Amino acid sequence: MRAVRDGDVSRLGVLFERYHLALFDFLSRMTGNAGVAEDLVQDVFVRVLKYRATFRDEGRFETWIYRIARNARVDYFKSRRPTESIEDAALDIPEPGAGPAEAIQREREMARLRRALLLLRDDKRELIVLARYRAMRHEQIADMLGIEVGAVKVRLHRAVQELRQIFLELPEEGAKWTAKPRVRNLQIV
Amino acid sequence: MDCEAARAQLADRLTGTLTPDAAAALEQHLASCDACARDAQDARGMWSALADIPPMPPDSAAMRARFDTIVETKTTSYAWWATYGLQAAAAIVLLAAGFLVGRQTSPAPVADPAIAELREELRATRQMVSLSLLQQQSASERLRGITYTTQIERPDSALVTALLDTLMHDPDSNVRLRTIDALKRFADRENVRRAAVNALAEPTSAPLVQIALIDFLVEANDRNAVTSLRHVADDAMTDKAVRAHAKWGLQQIG
Repeated sequence: MRAVRDGDVSRLGVLFERYHLALFDFLSRMTGNAGVAEDLVQDVFVRVLKYRATFRDEGRFETWIYRIARNARVDYFKSRRPTESIEDAALDIPEPGAGPAEAIQREREMARLRRALLLLRDDKRELIVLARYRAMRHEQIADMLGIEVGAVKVRLHRAVQELRQIFLELPEEGAKWTAKPRVRNLQIV
Repeated sequence: MDCEAARAQLADRLTGTLTPDAAAALEQHLASCDACARDAQDARGMWSALADIPPMPPDSAAMRARFDTIVETKTTSYAWWATYGLQAAAAIVLLAAGFLVGRQTSPAPVADPAIAELREELRATRQMVSLSLLQQQSASERLRGITYTTQIERPDSALVTALLDTLMHDPDSNVRLRTIDALKRFADRENVRRAAVNALAEPTSAPLVQIALIDFLVEANDRNAVTSLRHVADDAMTDKAVRAHAKWGLQQIG
């Protein structure tokens, strides 16, 4: 990143190769939409290019780029029409396929859990995605969010509890999502 | 270990980051406390189930192709400004000097279409340079760009959009503060007030920026800001001074 910051823009490709899949995973799990996540990954690297001079050596690059990704996602959903609902956002939640009953049931449970995760409030989903899927340490998350490590731990645990609650409240079988009251918690709205 | 201390460590238990001693102490507590044990078990079950959600498949090749296009476009644009930016600045100086000399030596003001054209040209060039400066990597250059915008009499929407973009995305708080000042003369535009409301709700905004935004919205007497102000005033995570200022702002808009 230091080379990019100092003017060697051609090295940005190296950073792209190193980070784009991780960022895509973070953003797709946050948005529930692969297309939106791909757009946001592009936006992240445009911002890296634009704000490269603000990167400081003492900071960890991964933390910096995830901060940019968070802002890019927040800005993206802020710029959507206020009336756009989650139903309009074409979530990439696959329908359970055919197969043995047990496998179908497992797929349904997984789809239900994915929905529950998307219904979780944005900041809580973010904690779970970072800690569970990006295996980010609590200290790094705290640094990124600008909060105490203790607060990260407490919030993460609460987020998991709340996710469980949402999961249990969702209809069990192949039902389309109808949990309207919680939709307001999502930034997509 | 009491329940509160135990619950503070349950996240570490999930991520496997407890030290052996802490883990032993926690397990001892869980063995003697049904409520915490149930809590820990539920959380672990959910944590484990989360692993079943597979990642979405990325279209890596398409992303790379788009990335290469963006880099090519941006670097070409930077190269253009590196080559012609100085010339554009020199053109402004010459235009301004010519304009001033012309005005000084002219016996009486006349409604000359050529002067109007020159003035328009000066305005357009100024705007172009402002836009260029707002894109610079150096915060002081971007600050100069913002100052420049204040000297343009009738900026078009591209410049206002660039200022709004700076307000929303610039990582430097000083630049954002100056942008808020520069946007004050556009406070009658709804999109500008709306951007200020959005920027206020942005969790990464520095307290000083949030306070300046509250002042901006109060000055604009924007009643649409009431909800956001109330949210900021009630949000325990927000800086105390900002919360107090938001309360003041609510009273002013009232």
